[in-house]
Amino acid sequence: MSKTKEESTAKKTVRGRTSGQFRCLNCFERLTPPPGAKIFTCPNCGYAWRLSWFGPGEPRIRGPVWDVNEAQTQKSMAEKGGN
Amino acid sequence: MALSRKIAYIDLTNRRVRTAPIPLEMRRRYLGGRGLDMYLLYNHVKPGADPLGPDNVALVSAGLLTGTLASASARVHIAGKSPLTGLVGSANMGGFFGPEMRLAGFDHLVITGKADGPVYLWIHDGEIEIRDASHLWGHDAHQTQTLVRDELGDDDIQVMTIGVAGENLVRFACVMTSLKNAAGRTGMGALFGSKNLKAIAARGRMDIKIAFPEEALDYNKEIITQVTSAKVSKTMQKLGTLFIWGTTNSTGLVRVRNFQSNQIPHADDIEPESIEEEMIGTAGCFGCQVHCRGRYFIKKGPYTGAYVEGPEYTSLGAFGAEVGCTTKQTVLVGNHLVNTYGLDTLETGSMIAWAMELFEKGILTTKDTDGLDLRFGNDEAVIEAVHQIAQRRGIGDILAEGPLKAAEKIGKDAIKYLIHVKGMSNLHSDERPTPALALNIATASRGSDHLRSRPAIDLYHLPEKVLRKIFGNPVPYDGPLTSDYRDYEGKPWEVLWQEMCYETVDCLGICKYHTVFLGPNMPNFSEWPKLIYLNTGLEFTPKDLWDIADRAYTMERLFNLREGLTKEMDWLPDRYFDEKTDRGLPVVRGKSIDRDKFRKMVDEYYKLHEWDENGQPTEKKLKALGLENEPTHKL
Repeated sequence: MSKTKEESTAKKTVRGRTSGQFRCLNCFERLTPPPGAKIFTCPNCGYAWRLSWFGPGEPRIRGPVWDVNEAQTQKSMAEKGGN
Repeated sequence: MALSRKIAYIDLTNRRVRTAPIPLEMRRRYLGGRGLDMYLLYNHVKPGADPLGPDNVALVSAGLLTGTLASASARVHIAGKSPLTGLVGSANMGGFFGPEMRLAGFDHLVITGKADGPVYLWIHDGEIEIRDASHLWGHDAHQTQTLVRDELGDDDIQVMTIGVAGENLVRFACVMTSLKNAAGRTGMGALFGSKNLKAIAARGRMDIKIAFPEEALDYNKEIITQVTSAKVSKTMQKLGTLFIWGTTNSTGLVRVRNFQSNQIPHADDIEPESIEEEMIGTAGCFGCQVHCRGRYFIKKGPYTGAYVEGPEYTSLGAFGAEVGCTTKQTVLVGNHLVNTYGLDTLETGSMIAWAMELFEKGILTTKDTDGLDLRFGNDEAVIEAVHQIAQRRGIGDILAEGPLKAAEKIGKDAIKYLIHVKGMSNLHSDERPTPALALNIATASRGSDHLRSRPAIDLYHLPEKVLRKIFGNPVPYDGPLTSDYRDYEGKPWEVLWQEMCYETVDCLGICKYHTVFLGPNMPNFSEWPKLIYLNTGLEFTPKDLWDIADRAYTMERLFNLREGLTKEMDWLPDRYFDEKTDRGLPVVRGKSIDRDKFRKMVDEYYKLHEWDENGQPTEKKLKALGLENEPTHKL
């Protein structure tokens, strides 16, 4: 096996990475909150998320805004005729 | 060369040690680590052997790349017939022991018989001594490591050891190294205890020669960048594996109060970010740049001042969601206790949670628990239960027997409330909304297990194109694949692919966080051949590695079938089918597993494996893998 001169899978992977976004766990939309935001509501589905930042420009979901999301879920289930 | 290490056969009954080289043919067939362990397990354990008797064998194996210039190559694998399940016993751990064992000249230890009193093994520069360990017996896993280093006069000695739980033959006792690294599952600590084997110490100065050192370093830099630039790794650097909680509890994929709910709301104190407030830094295993091991001091209560590493995500369930506790103090103390006692944190938490549900339902009462109030959310009772299990006191003596034996002893309807597969408890995850993950735990070779074949990226809603790129290599797959984690279609292939992926890293001795587990763009079959070649000089194609993984996994299946596995055991507890989830997002709420669809999934999974309708590997399959004449006793 000889060393290839083509760009390796590892390098290609690194080149393709994105940052500054997180996915809404309800609708899976990629969301871009303002830097440092502690709460962000998904403009697509209305679910609200508490955020933490594990690096500059690197948001993640810490947890739901419980009451907001539970109300959204109750509404959604009622519309579907669920529990 | 990295391939010059030996295998040692250690007969504890007669106190004899014999060493032998490892034929290249066996490397090419099994690589090392878990793969070669499965060959040794099938060949050295007599059918029907008592897992806690002298006929069982304790195997300790470094991976093919352990201790080399491959990133995160810290892993060492331990195997035997499981005292917990009676099937494959298999667990691996990071830390520094594996590389040190290789530096001391050995890749594999085959430990047979039973010593007539407590002993430990001292492995150094090609030599192995069996030494008296009477003075170590009764010490916890942390104290033992210090005592061994003091006795041998070298602070750089690496030690793997059992704690009091292993000595007391708790069937889910683990083997520990460093402060928190645990070969956690299937009761390998009880296996050591049954042999009167307290510890193994290693120190070596024998170089591991790398085939192409400069190129290996260069390539490793690329791998490191690939791994550390991933969001999942950056998150782990800050929060450890606890980070997973943010997604799972927010969605409703967590096992709460044994199995009575799937989300624990308003539990802010046990959120990873809250636990992080206690951290004083992070630590890493050999050759790893991620450093996912959180470091803490316990700041209040009877354990004030204790230095703790971890807790892992698993402990967040064991001392949080599963037992209905919501204080980080309980998580940190529980984690500290299982690490010092040498207990599998997952099994410990699951057994306590199960006992709590039995208590709630009146199957257990304070008469059975000597007054211990096993109500969900009782932090003090949870901590006391850990002590009782490790010391085999009170109700702990029954729980120490593991799920099935404990259920038999308690009787009544106790077994109905167990969340186990094949006699091993599940992670604090709720798989009712996720058929792929449910299939994973139902069919995994060592019991309910998230580290054998869990396609965790199934939760990420990745586009089909991306899924095809991952799951279509190195073996082409043109069947269905969907982004929806609630689907049943295409998931058996994901589970099988993941089995091969995890088996390969376990054979190589690389951490699972450095492959496709929690991050989709991590190194896998595409990168490993070059990594192996530059470090060892051995040439493999991606498909060769897949076939090796398949061979090793099939050996596990053969062992299990020989020891009593039936098709009925590749199945879920009834509650997965009969009870619906009650919380979480709309996508997961009101979900249970559909029996008929799940049966089809299992059947398809068998077919993809080329197993017959009863889950037996076909003759054709065995021949293709060169396993038709096993056991062959080549090692």
